Amino acid sequence: MKRRVLAVAADLALILYFVFALFPVAWMVILSLKPTNELFSTYFSFSPTFDSYRTVLGAGGDQGVPFVRFFVNSLVVSVGAVALSLAIGLPAAYAAARWRFRGSENLMFTLLSFRFAPELTVVIPLFVLYQKLGLFDTYVGMVWVLQLVTLPLIVWIMRSYFSDLSPELEQAALLDGYTRKQAFFKVALPLVKPGIAAVSLLAFIFAWNNFVFPLILTSSNAQTVTVGALSFLGGDRPKYNLTAAAALVSVVPPLLLALTIQRYLVRGLSFGAVKS
Amino acid sequence: MTRPAAIGLRSVHKRYGKSTALDGLDLEVAEGEFFCLLGPSGAGKTTTLKTIAGLEEPDSGAVELGGVDMAGVEPYDRGVAMCFESYALYPHRTAYDNLASPLRSPRHRLPAHEARERIGDIAELLGIGALLDRPVGRLSNGQRQRVALGRVLVRPARAFLLDEPLSHLDAKLRQAMRAELRAIGSVRRTTTLYVTHDSVEALALGDRIGVIRDGRMVQTGTREELWHRPYDTFVARSFGRPRINLLPGTVTAEGHFRSPDGAYELPLTVPAPPGAAVQLGVRPRDIGLLGPGKGSGVEPAGTDRGTALELTGTVHVSELLGRATEVTVRIGGQQLSLVVPRADAAGLRPDRPVRLSVPPESLLLFEADRPARPGRRIST
Amino acid sequence: MSGRASPVPEAGHGAASGTGAGKRAVRAVPAWRRSLRPYLLIVPALLLTGGILYPFGLGLYYTVFDFAASKPQPDLVGIENYRRIFAQSSFWDSARVTVAYAVGAAAVETVLGVAVALLLHRASFVGRVLEKILILPLMIAPVIAAIMWKLMLQPSVGVINHLLEPFGLGGVQWTDTPTGALLSSIAVDVWVYTPFVAILALAGLRSLPVSPFEAAAVDGAGWWFTFRRLTLPMLWPYVLVAVIFRFMDSLKVFDIIYALTEGGPGDSTMVLQIRAYLEAIRFQRYSFGISYMITLWAAVYLVTMVLVRYLGRIQNRASEVPG
Repeated sequence: MKRRVLAVAADLALILYFVFALFPVAWMVILSLKPTNELFSTYFSFSPTFDSYRTVLGAGGDQGVPFVRFFVNSLVVSVGAVALSLAIGLPAAYAAARWRFRGSENLMFTLLSFRFAPELTVVIPLFVLYQKLGLFDTYVGMVWVLQLVTLPLIVWIMRSYFSDLSPELEQAALLDGYTRKQAFFKVALPLVKPGIAAVSLLAFIFAWNNFVFPLILTSSNAQTVTVGALSFLGGDRPKYNLTAAAALVSVVPPLLLALTIQRYLVRGLSFGAVKS
Repeated sequence: MTRPAAIGLRSVHKRYGKSTALDGLDLEVAEGEFFCLLGPSGAGKTTTLKTIAGLEEPDSGAVELGGVDMAGVEPYDRGVAMCFESYALYPHRTAYDNLASPLRSPRHRLPAHEARERIGDIAELLGIGALLDRPVGRLSNGQRQRVALGRVLVRPARAFLLDEPLSHLDAKLRQAMRAELRAIGSVRRTTTLYVTHDSVEALALGDRIGVIRDGRMVQTGTREELWHRPYDTFVARSFGRPRINLLPGTVTAEGHFRSPDGAYELPLTVPAPPGAAVQLGVRPRDIGLLGPGKGSGVEPAGTDRGTALELTGTVHVSELLGRATEVTVRIGGQQLSLVVPRADAAGLRPDRPVRLSVPPESLLLFEADRPARPGRRIST
Repeated sequence: MSGRASPVPEAGHGAASGTGAGKRAVRAVPAWRRSLRPYLLIVPALLLTGGILYPFGLGLYYTVFDFAASKPQPDLVGIENYRRIFAQSSFWDSARVTVAYAVGAAAVETVLGVAVALLLHRASFVGRVLEKILILPLMIAPVIAAIMWKLMLQPSVGVINHLLEPFGLGGVQWTDTPTGALLSSIAVDVWVYTPFVAILALAGLRSLPVSPFEAAAVDGAGWWFTFRRLTLPMLWPYVLVAVIFRFMDSLKVFDIIYALTEGGPGDSTMVLQIRAYLEAIRFQRYSFGISYMITLWAAVYLVTMVLVRYLGRIQNRASEVPG
């Protein structure tokens, strides 16, 4: 009997936490469906409408916020950053996993320190530098600075995946008559494919969710959704319903991706320190 | 000029950090020979194979294949095939794809239909024909081992390097595969270096055997040479179960062997310096049982060469080994084990005296063991 | 011995001879080229890393000048920027706020996250369903999360006060009082990052060996004893990873405070990164703002070193425990 009561209490405690975790999202959905004239006069009962989404994805309200453009910008710079990090990080991760040498140890440590460095330390000098180089408010500039987020993640996680792989598989391929390059591409790479997929998605999410870099290093051309969502709060009358709609639209891609990589999250989030 | 060795290692050194894997290893395997490399784990057997295959760079020394120095030659250019102890099969592919891997490589590529035929032959030979469509993840250990072996046999190679290819099989399958292995045509024709820690396997398979210890080659030779003329007690102990009896003692002024407590003395056929600390080696199966004895000690039936020496002791314990019986006999403070037909040992009771016969030509004399250096055999 | 090898014939066999086993030149790769191999693989990453380190070095260089938008031809001032920072009471206020925020957020997230993990580990039906959506807040950009909470915490029209009204608690000035603003910011941090701790702790719980718990159950040990003496010590290395990540990350909090309070009211939530942002970007006093950040960076770096060393000791000790 006491057991049953405890079990129910535990479930209730869990449900309580999840109400706390989910209510803000639910409330955003409600806010985003409210018509402007009912925004401040109602809480839970109102006449729902998709006007807010139409406005956010269309004209962008009185200020004409180009939210779709921000969305596309987010996509471009996040995909670009992940692609560059993969192209450069995979060989480095492989080298660090297969050969222990000074260069790779230093590289790994430097990358880890990026993970913990306060972003502004680099961004403020970049702000000055980008304006001189013409990289301010450009895709190239954003992809470059986002390496600070994506490269350490990809190199650290992929090193842990490559290390888990027995080097004898590649050695067997060499003796089968394949070159080292072929052994990497035909044997090692296919075996860590799930890891690559997971870490790419996680890196994409972190790049997408980044706020400091676009806030300081873009103004309109390359601005992303995280900064763009704030635009609807400006003006003389804050548009709560538009803000909510914009916030929801901007969290859709990371949420969808996150659900597909649940299994791999632990290793990714802990930089390979914890494997599940 | 003789033909160059198929595989030659000249004083190869290899260290991993602080531990030494190969410490000046020399090895020569003749063309077409089946050579067994025998040693305990950690002796450097796998490192030897990987160094030959080009997967590890020696720190110093030379690796030659067919008389050609292989320094800096990539593994795929060496043309040797290797079967890894871990199998090293691609876990995400089927048995067929694993076997086909060498035949799809730029070096050994065969047209698809020829490859299919060849893989079919090899799979048939190894009895895995029905398993080809299965992912290797769903094969048993024994099946995987045969796929790994097939991947080596399916392709042309100047040499096969086999790393404990039978070690993970159960006893029955191991025996069957041991018999089959040497009968396979390509194995008969191709130089094969076979690594094992199992002396029975080495004796059964090797044209010649090399015994390796702490990264150095202790002795190479035919099975007869290693059995009858072992270089030291390490080699002597490596072959034969139960193990060879090694009895510590000293050499008397007359050149006899004398046990520490003086319980017995035996005449020696090899000259040894009087007073030297030595070990007398005698294999359990060389000792015969003469029947119940009267007292303890030595009763030389005659000092002439060729006449068996006689020893008297008391039965300590006897243990049945199938058709034979292992009897442990106490002579003074020492114990001696011997293997006799089951019928001969029928009447033995513990603590009862027995008489043993030892053929003098079967006696081996070794120096005493020193720390980290087994005693060498003393010969004429 | 010769470095180069000549072509050698290969012993082909039976069916396959003459296909892949033909004569082929054996090419020796010089030792220096082989030893270069791993370096070639990391060169691009090193270059890119250099590209990121360059602005950092540039920033360090700026800190000895008085570079600002109003002073495009800066003068060398040496350590003047740092001297000014340490002399300002506002810097120490910011440092205090930052530490309070980091300690508060990390502590609450740890306790709550471990609790959630323990509850989920029971794997009840409810738990199995809820676990699937555990990561949801973590995947929402922190700045977006702050916006969401800002809308909900709005004193007059926000939904939180509306829900509290029946309990006689309406009209709370959430982000408009100094304490309220700090607590609200921490609450948003907790909302976003509790799943982070919970996920790592849950992974830890699931990897714990079963036998000590069975032995404890056989001995009739109580829940609290089992938790204190078994679960917690074995789980600690996992939790510590989470705590270190959370503590270090909250020391450099920016997004949440920027969107929720912008450092206000007054300077009550003026954490170091926000103040550096205002100095460098708003007021365009570049050198001074960067000096702020370098100071924070140095502090974070030192704390990281200490914590990582501690973590290493803990993990070593944990791995010595017979499993």
